[in-house]
Amino acid sequence: MVQYSYFPGCNLKTNAKGFEETAIAVSKKLEAELVEMPSWNCCGTVHTLTSDNIMKRIAPIRVLSRSRKHVETLKESPNQVVTLCSMCNSTLKIVNNEVKKDQEILDKINYQLEEDEETYETDMEVKHFLEILRDIVGYEKISEEVVNPLKGLKVSPYYGCMLLHPEEAKIDDEEMPDVLESLVESLGADLVMSPLFKFCCGSYHIVDQEYIVSSQVEKIVEAAKRRGANALVVACPLCAYNIDQQQKAMAKNTVGKSPIPVFYFTQLMAIAMGEPVKINHFQDHFINPEPLLKELGLIGRKKAK
Amino acid sequence: MSYEYLKFGKEEKDFIAKIEEISGQNIYSCYQCGKCSAGCVFSDKMDITVNQLIHLIQLGQKEKVLKANTHWVCSSCLTCSVRCPREIDVAALMEAVREYSLREDYEKVIISEISKEALDKLPNIALVSNFRKKTG
Repeated sequence: MVQYSYFPGCNLKTNAKGFEETAIAVSKKLEAELVEMPSWNCCGTVHTLTSDNIMKRIAPIRVLSRSRKHVETLKESPNQVVTLCSMCNSTLKIVNNEVKKDQEILDKINYQLEEDEETYETDMEVKHFLEILRDIVGYEKISEEVVNPLKGLKVSPYYGCMLLHPEEAKIDDEEMPDVLESLVESLGADLVMSPLFKFCCGSYHIVDQEYIVSSQVEKIVEAAKRRGANALVVACPLCAYNIDQQQKAMAKNTVGKSPIPVFYFTQLMAIAMGEPVKINHFQDHFINPEPLLKELGLIGRKKAK
Repeated sequence: MSYEYLKFGKEEKDFIAKIEEISGQNIYSCYQCGKCSAGCVFSDKMDITVNQLIHLIQLGQKEKVLKANTHWVCSSCLTCSVRCPREIDVAALMEAVREYSLREDYEKVIISEISKEALDKLPNIALVSNFRKKTG
């Protein structure tokens, strides 16, 4: 059993609890356990694209430094911090890259971290859980653990922007990724490819320019539905919230819009691996996936063993 | 056909220098191929496209740049940055224009004006990223 220092980030503790709990459950099953690091702080969610603002780079470095200490307490743990949220992944990765290249920035940040008794020595790597699943665990092992193949679920992967951009933080090819596709297939679900797999959902504009998000979500969902998808799979809590919540808002306004549920990739894994349904926290979803899963016989029947 | 005479003095050059400083990019690397605007998923919501905004920055037209909604519609998805054939971090230029206005003591989003219901409803990931991009 390998243990990984796991950085949750803000949303996994609030409206994406299902993402975290399912991830931890499947990580144990796959012998790549995610162990939450102590006293973490928000990574800042978006990386600053400015070249002169060091303040906005301190939080991710503090996370890396604390995770480094956490690694020491774990079993067989590599010097890696694992994230589930794709925004955390990109923020941490970019800043980690920057300080590895630029000693001057690192010194300035370390000076700021003195008060917290932290020093970062650029000896950590940031990994997204999908990278661990692909490179360390392997799809073969994942399919071996599947007891409840997701037959009838036609899943369209939606990457969003932060898993594939920028160059320094991408987990797969930015124009032709296949990590979510292979995962979905190894769980026994049908794969539906949509050309809008990285068509930005509007992200943080949800706060003050909701019209942008609703127009983006409409296009994303329509493209997937037109190709026969009955579910979307995502890795970002903000994509999930935007697509889920906007679909509900649209269903109220427009006739004939049948919403499709949005899953985190770990939720699909948990269902396929026969984990209890309650860890999915489906009650937090705006579009409840349970009716679809029941209709397909994927939940709500006795475990076939 | 009408022509507009543009001033290109100290003020214009200072503006260009500031944008280059904040973004860390060379604005004259851009040769206006338009790939950023072609691939931008928000182009339909912008009053002028990304490459047009860059052209205006190259000309130092501060007022026209700040008046555009382009940089406020940009959500930093970085599609343009990974595709630029001149390897310009286009999204960093958009961020630089945002920062330029925010550093002039201007808040795009006024937090106290957001209703309590909205604050309760919205996930923290949306709020934090929004405030980091749209407040000074």
